[in-house]
Amino acid sequence: MEKIKNPIGRFFIHLSLILFAIYSIVPFMWTLLQSFKNLKDANSRTPKFIFTPTWDNYTDLWLREIPENGATIAYFLLLTVVLLISLLLVAKHLPIRDGYIYSFVFVGFVTLLWGIPQFIEVAKFYDYFINTLIITVGTVTVSLSIGALAGYGLARYAGMASVIVLIAALGFRALPRLAFVLPYYWIGSALNLLDTHLLVILTLVAVNQPFTIWMLRSFFMEIPGELEEAAMVDGCNRLTAFTKVIMPIMWPGIISTGLFSLLLAYNEFLLVRLLTQTNWTLPVAISRFTGGEDPRHLTLAAASAISATIPIMLVILFFQKNLVKGLTAGAVKG
Amino acid sequence: MKRNTFFRFASPSIIIMTLLMVIPLFMAIWLGMNYVTYNNITSPQFIGLENYKDVLDDPRFWQSFQFTGQYLLFVVPTTMLVGFTVAMLLDQVSKFTRGIYLSIFLLPFIIVPVVGTLMFKQLFEPSGLFTWLYQTILDTKFRYNENSVKTLIMLYGLWYIAPFALVTYFAGLQTLSKDQIEAASIDGATTWQKIRYIIIPHLRSLTILIMLMSIMDAYRVFDSVFVLSEMNPIYKADTMMTYTFQTAVTVQRLGKANAMAILTIVGIMIVLIPNLIQSYKQQVEER
Repeated sequence: MEKIKNPIGRFFIHLSLILFAIYSIVPFMWTLLQSFKNLKDANSRTPKFIFTPTWDNYTDLWLREIPENGATIAYFLLLTVVLLISLLLVAKHLPIRDGYIYSFVFVGFVTLLWGIPQFIEVAKFYDYFINTLIITVGTVTVSLSIGALAGYGLARYAGMASVIVLIAALGFRALPRLAFVLPYYWIGSALNLLDTHLLVILTLVAVNQPFTIWMLRSFFMEIPGELEEAAMVDGCNRLTAFTKVIMPIMWPGIISTGLFSLLLAYNEFLLVRLLTQTNWTLPVAISRFTGGEDPRHLTLAAASAISATIPIMLVILFFQKNLVKGLTAGAVKG
Repeated sequence: MKRNTFFRFASPSIIIMTLLMVIPLFMAIWLGMNYVTYNNITSPQFIGLENYKDVLDDPRFWQSFQFTGQYLLFVVPTTMLVGFTVAMLLDQVSKFTRGIYLSIFLLPFIIVPVVGTLMFKQLFEPSGLFTWLYQTILDTKFRYNENSVKTLIMLYGLWYIAPFALVTYFAGLQTLSKDQIEAASIDGATTWQKIRYIIIPHLRSLTILIMLMSIMDAYRVFDSVFVLSEMNPIYKADTMMTYTFQTAVTVQRLGKANAMAILTIVGIMIVLIPNLIQSYKQQVEER
């Protein structure tokens, strides 16, 4: 559309957008404020916007007891995280192969997460956080590996079998999860797999698979088929053409799809709630805070909500373009 | 690509989908015809269609059915209207401002639904911001009751689903041809006429897509309803999904819950089957 030039019109456009932005952000902002208040300020009947902020809610949530040199440890951790992230950012400009740097950063984060409980008395919430990470990383890795193979096959094979798989996947993607999730409980208790990461990861992969293959297929279809045909003339077979020629240019598509798998796994509530008794992930653990036997549930719940949101916000901050691209991938071709 | 090569590439994915989706679905149908609780979980007792009868006679099932309908009727149209309006407005501002607005608008979409529900609830606590505003503006106290819990659930639904409609519509607007709009301006079309005769037809297929997606998402809404209704069980704000879950986990009638789940599938088929037939035709045409 042409832009409206009239100043009054433009004022109202910005006013409406700002109002909508406030509406989108207010629940988050209010919770953020509440999470830094002490109990008295948080329970005040007239909202307090000026108060002395406190970290107590966060330390209560994450730690069993505060270590003596807490501030030093906190600074050290923050410094390590910042270093690792900045290493990721400059990886492209360093004279070392990107793959090595990414693996180094990954190992660094794993060591850090494993090392923290060795030095600090952490609370249960930390375990839930680790559970969530294991399940999310596991689901994303498995989903993408088998999904990329299938997505490629579906994009290049034009036979009836491919159409049938696609339509069946579309159907399953739309069905209410509960219909095939309830039997998982039955399978899980029969195989004695309840409360294990393996069962949750496998079922999450299956549940996300229809979505993953549709999205990856649409990205593979954008890559011209001549590319691997040329490679195959030069002596590659299908698989080597796929790994050496197609995958290196598929990264943006893989990242977009990976982001959605990540959100789906990180957000999953129903499945984890049904299949675990103690090995909860963050959403399930946090839903327990709403019960409210603890008089401090108000501020603790706020702190837990913010704690679960920050990691996702950091990831999206880096990959917002891929997220938007993924959201519109299937849509524009419509 | 040859058929064999296709199966070699796709088999891991097909196997896991068959094992963990197709087979469980048949198991659900079978479990739905058995009397199963946690005491006889390994030796279910076949009772035919008794569970279905039981479900159809259950007033709480019909209550949850009604609320699911209410939720759909509110969330789907408002999502589409809000998404379209904001996308049109966003199209009016410069590229740089757009990026900032878009990051903020996407926030509800990336926040974990359980957490988002919790954040909404913080606003409606006795000490919450919204409760205070409500009291100051309307001068009556905000109270939790069946209606306010239901309103809360529906407002959260709108907050959570709207970004998807917004971004999709916005992407669709970017593919609009400038020439068409210019030609219309030269012919003296008003803004309203341009929206009515150029933009809305241009977005038609996207509108259908958004409508289908949001109907399906709204129909199977679980997390937010479950968190809010578990907290206030007396307010009976159950949707079909949460009531099914409670039948399975709290009441421990696995068979009846499976029967209920099968009934919810039958319900969504009305929307799903025409959509599947259409996609099938489209795929066959494209190959």
